[in-house]
Amino acid sequence: MDTAAQSVVHRWLAEALVLMVEHEAELGRLDAAAGDGDHGATMVRGLRAANAALAGATGSSGQLLQQAGAAFADAGGASGALVGALLATAGQQLGDGPCDLPAVTAALQAGTDHVARLGKAQPGDKTLLDALYPFLRALATHPPDQPLAVAWKAALPAAEQGAAATSSLVARRGRAAKLGARSLGHPDPGAVSITYLLQALLATEP
Amino acid sequence: MTVLYNDPTQFREELIEGFVAAYGRLVRRVPDASGVVAAQPLPRSQVAVVIGGGSGHYPAFCGYVGPGLASAAVMGNVFAAPSAEQIYRVTRAAAGDGGVLFCYGNYSGDVLNFDLAEQRCQAEGLKVRTVRVTDDVASAPQGEESERRGIAGDFFVFKIAGASAARGDDLETVARLTQKANDQTRSFGVAFGGCTLPGQSAPLFAVEPGQMELGLGVHGEPGIQSSHLRPAHEIAGLLLETLLANAPAALPPRVGVLLNGLGSTQYEELFVLYKDVHRLLLAAGLTPYHPVVAEMVTSLDMAGCSLSLCWLDDELLPLFDAPCTSAAYTKF
Repeated sequence: MDTAAQSVVHRWLAEALVLMVEHEAELGRLDAAAGDGDHGATMVRGLRAANAALAGATGSSGQLLQQAGAAFADAGGASGALVGALLATAGQQLGDGPCDLPAVTAALQAGTDHVARLGKAQPGDKTLLDALYPFLRALATHPPDQPLAVAWKAALPAAEQGAAATSSLVARRGRAAKLGARSLGHPDPGAVSITYLLQALLATEP
Repeated sequence: MTVLYNDPTQFREELIEGFVAAYGRLVRRVPDASGVVAAQPLPRSQVAVVIGGGSGHYPAFCGYVGPGLASAAVMGNVFAAPSAEQIYRVTRAAAGDGGVLFCYGNYSGDVLNFDLAEQRCQAEGLKVRTVRVTDDVASAPQGEESERRGIAGDFFVFKIAGASAARGDDLETVARLTQKANDQTRSFGVAFGGCTLPGQSAPLFAVEPGQMELGLGVHGEPGIQSSHLRPAHEIAGLLLETLLANAPAALPPRVGVLLNGLGSTQYEELFVLYKDVHRLLLAAGLTPYHPVVAEMVTSLDMAGCSLSLCWLDDELLPLFDAPCTSAAYTKF
């Protein structure tokens, strides 16, 4: 077991909660443009549940992510189910193995593919996938022996640009899809919030 | 504004506690789960009808639990689907040997979480069938009916499902009749003001003075089109015209009618509107059957209403007529 990596999961999700609370109102407004306005609240609720589940928990990073994912999913909503599944599937893929760039990339890839299947969504449907897949493609351009934090930081703009670019897309999945063109001109709140989640990992760097 | 709360994050928990305290003769809390089951145990062989969705829609969903209606309701946070874990726990508490019908409005969060719960139940050998309510004609065009979202039409679909299960129909029959009730139900709504989540100071969307939103959602989603506010009789015409333009093909003229208030529109205003709805239904050659003018699926404190019609053929009529008892709706 890698105790340094364990604490990374704890620190990452604690940092993600802080970041999400800061952006809760903004995410709610984005969601209200075509949805029901609860996205910020749901993400905060999920991260609170995930942090609570990790309090005092020990184990490999993979195990911790699975616990966090299950707790996040139980917070409910579409975002709860999807982000919970993302974390849990990534944790399963990671298992008890190392947390280097190739392993973490493979874990995030597995989690993202699972989310796409669950949500029956594809890139371009104006969902969190539009931030995750560009991020994964950017990560893949880095040599496998590069430190995770370096590659992660360099790839983050791809997620941010992917999220911002959802402004010009019309929602085809999720509740916003029912309002079609009303979703145009606003980025997808799920793509924006997942970018904050990715960004939070950088703050765990000592 | 949502005014009465203590801690907004505890809104759901506190409303379940209060609901169970008030209606303990009808429902009991499922231990360690966000939901209620009927207090009166079902015959073991009866299909359990499990409904659910986000909170903020009372009497949907807990208000529909009782004899002749739903067996259990799973309650998510305000406007958020309940989690698969909660759905599973409530389903386990409600299920006998007759299998389970999941019935809920067609929203991505509900679909995701109910489907995950369904997979888990099926893996454990519990038979589950699902019918999603898709009555809102504003949310997808004709030809894409199954993509539509569920709004106040829940009322008819839950009623038929509960009556079929209570009659002792097997799971396949309950599912078929519930699907039929959904396929023969259409709704369309207008909003005059948005709703405010507990703990928030601003509504999810605002309707300009003198305007109204057509085709609203029941989660404070904005409508598909804005229009200037019109007199009640014109709104009645607009609601009915839209429904009739989207009517299911070739059905007998007898229709169940629900004029549903969304939260802060007064009952007496609804009756003023219903006067013209009724007249126009008759003029269109339809026969209103046991109309309901009430709040049956709300959207917190949203101002507005929706009109739902359920075409009641000879198979659905006795189920709609069957007695039921619940906090929201009782039929003798």
